[in-house]
Amino acid sequence: MSFDNGFRLSRRGFLAGACCVAASPILTPVSFAAMPGDNRFVTIILRGAMDGLDFVQPYGDPAYAALRPKLGLRPDTGLIDLDGFFGLNPAASALMPLWQAGELSFVHAVSTPYRDQRSHFDGQDMLETGGNGKGERTGWLNRTLAVIPRSNARKAIDINTSMELILSGPNEADSWSSQSNFALAQDEIAFLDRLYAGDPAFAKAMEEAKKTDMSADSLYGDAKRGAGIADMAKLAGGMLREDYRIASFSINGWDTHVGQQGQFKKAVGDLSTAIVALKAALGEDAWKKTVVLAMTEFGRTARENGTNGTDHGTGGLAVLAGGAIPGGKVLGKWPGLSEDKLLDRRDLMPTGDVREVAAAMLSRQFGIEPDTLTAKVFPGLSFDTSSAYLKG
Amino acid sequence: MALPNPTLAAIRYGYGLRPGEEPPRDVEALLGQIEEGAIEKPRFPREGIAGRLDTATRVVSLLAAEAKARKAGNPNEDVRKATQNEARHIYRQDAMARLAQAIHSPLGFYERLASFWTDHFSTSVMKSLPMRMIVPLYEAQAIRPNLGGSFTRLLSAAILHPAMLIYLDQDQSVGPDSVAARRNGRGLNENLGRELLELHTLGAGSGYTQDDVRAAALILTGLSVDNRAMQVVYQPRFAEAGPVDLLGRTYRDDEGDGQDHVLMLEDLAANPKTAQHICGKLVRHFIADDAPPEMVAAMVAAWTKSRGNLTEVYRAMLAHPRAWSDPGQKIKQPFEFVVSGFRALDLPERNFGNLLRDMDDGDEDEGPVQKAMDLTGMAAREDTKKKAGRANALTLGALQRMGQPIWQPPSPAGFADEASVWLTPSQLSERISWSRMVARIFGQKMEPSVFLQAALADAAHPETSRIIAQAPNKVHGITMVLASAEFNRR
Repeated sequence: MSFDNGFRLSRRGFLAGACCVAASPILTPVSFAAMPGDNRFVTIILRGAMDGLDFVQPYGDPAYAALRPKLGLRPDTGLIDLDGFFGLNPAASALMPLWQAGELSFVHAVSTPYRDQRSHFDGQDMLETGGNGKGERTGWLNRTLAVIPRSNARKAIDINTSMELILSGPNEADSWSSQSNFALAQDEIAFLDRLYAGDPAFAKAMEEAKKTDMSADSLYGDAKRGAGIADMAKLAGGMLREDYRIASFSINGWDTHVGQQGQFKKAVGDLSTAIVALKAALGEDAWKKTVVLAMTEFGRTARENGTNGTDHGTGGLAVLAGGAIPGGKVLGKWPGLSEDKLLDRRDLMPTGDVREVAAAMLSRQFGIEPDTLTAKVFPGLSFDTSSAYLKG
Repeated sequence: MALPNPTLAAIRYGYGLRPGEEPPRDVEALLGQIEEGAIEKPRFPREGIAGRLDTATRVVSLLAAEAKARKAGNPNEDVRKATQNEARHIYRQDAMARLAQAIHSPLGFYERLASFWTDHFSTSVMKSLPMRMIVPLYEAQAIRPNLGGSFTRLLSAAILHPAMLIYLDQDQSVGPDSVAARRNGRGLNENLGRELLELHTLGAGSGYTQDDVRAAALILTGLSVDNRAMQVVYQPRFAEAGPVDLLGRTYRDDEGDGQDHVLMLEDLAANPKTAQHICGKLVRHFIADDAPPEMVAAMVAAWTKSRGNLTEVYRAMLAHPRAWSDPGQKIKQPFEFVVSGFRALDLPERNFGNLLRDMDDGDEDEGPVQKAMDLTGMAAREDTKKKAGRANALTLGALQRMGQPIWQPPSPAGFADEASVWLTPSQLSERISWSRMVARIFGQKMEPSVFLQAALADAAHPETSRIIAQAPNKVHGITMVLASAEFNRR
């Protein structure tokens, strides 16, 4: 292992706009790329396998209630109805104004080509490289930079931390992050609990740390985490309002094996906070020209497990937001939840490729030809002008 | 003797595993590090020993001149400020160099011993401004070259160094009947005499009395520091005339050459209580808070047989079966934790050096050029400061937060060593925070399972490997390797 590349920091200044220098987040890097033209594109990686069936619940599917006796909601138990078939998890109620304004859509039953192994690391690698296998080591968003027309005026920041895989590669992109090491996500805390379970002294220290105000604030504080997420989104929004046209960041907290209700509510709250803050920071005009794509490495099991949670699955959900999307829709081809329709009799069957959603949004925003995208950005993807995501 | 467990050798007797560095294979390899380390030039003080002596004496003269001017009503704030800044700067460079030394040296056992003895003979940079420059010099001059030879030699080198005499006020102490006392009313300071018996040699509760403390202090009178040359000097006019009785021996300074303290140090070094104290402390540091008595006994026997040859004492420790059993009884101290973390991450030395440069870049400069900078410049300045803050948070700031700032022990007794002190809720959350921070900055593209192997090899519990492989994201996987119980224990 070696970190020669990319660690030596440039002394060059950045951010002539200085919009958010003081108020923004460091340790979750926000990655940017500057681009001519007015349109913006933001990716949010939801790490940990977001449960699409909980976020946008197919309450109209006859099999749903039986698969999700504890987690499943109906409009009469708090679910926010979207279209008579799907309903929004109430933890995302902050996003409803966007839905009503036609600035929010969902794409159900999508996935990358990743199958069978259900490893977060491999799944996230594939989501970020956009390839079919493990060979690709550059991010698809980075490769996109090279194929955007009119890109000669590209300006980039050359700063540090480490770039996430999705924007890593030969094309210049910057990464910038804030001073605050914001709080752990719920699933990360659950993993630490498991990690220390075999060592009573560590388990005890961890338990007490969670109860101690000071430690809890720095590591686990909800308020602090919320503020950190909002700062990150504000930073991204501020940058996009100035020179930058592409931004990417991640939100962790989706690996809800146990006690999903509480954990998922926090993670959904984080994503809602980020989208709302992004919109506010971009301002009305820029928001109109923006597409936000939030996506995850894979979905979760259709059935609840025995610990009020769900396990690693396949078909998942992508979230689209912004003024430049086909809004107010639940897109995708619904496969159904009856047992014979599930993948391996356990997972939501993927009926669409999340890369196609990304390709379509890139094509819409930056006028990139589908052929170019399938040749250079998403090798192996089948995508052309007939794509449903190009319409509306 | 071939080692039953090279991984344990690297973790228990070194600063942990580092990719590409072969863990010690046998006891001779471990002991061989001592000779190698003793002749190696450490990365601090940055100007080398002679250079640092020059710097320290120059700074002391400047401060003296300024103090004199101030007394005369002409204070020169600029000189004072500049001197303070320089001392702070030098300390930071040396402290970062000490981290780098421990991280990059392949002589892990030697480095751990250097830390052990620097802590045993504690001095602190917080004592005074010149001490910021002298303490690193002290470790390089007095501790490092002498930690494998006779204990007498190490003891003398440590006690008879300006850093120790300044730290424990020996430079202020004069015999009650000395010329100096009669002339200006100064008197005895027992600080060094007491710590010499309590901490450095016999050990607390080993049976010496207040009279013995006073006797030791009297015998030490005359020892002082020539600040202009930064040398230990013997000042006959500070010295109390003998005879002084200490632990059954009368020190008379018959020759009048002020060498009675040398005899005292030799006697204290040879005292069986000292062997017992030091051997017990070594075992408590390396093996377990509850030192196995048979192991201590074996080391004391080696001490007696070799007349306090420390390498023989270490050999007896490493040859004992208990040296290779029951791992994980101790919790890494913060310095060990941070050093072993950087080692596992295999950060190139140049990149580590860049962190210091980032900190230097972030220093305030209120000069006219800075003030004239435009908005872009100010943004760049913010960025520079942010990087400086981050570099500090990864290194010296982290150690401060975890309670073990470099060369700043809380008392002459050094830093606490008990496992319970370093496993508290706040300590654990600091370590998790640090792990997250380095994982985000350096671990973004690492495979957690590969990193686990690099960091812990066969010391990782199978359940830990399983959990790490399932982490919800790579950064958290890397974080958990560093925050794991196995990585924090040794």
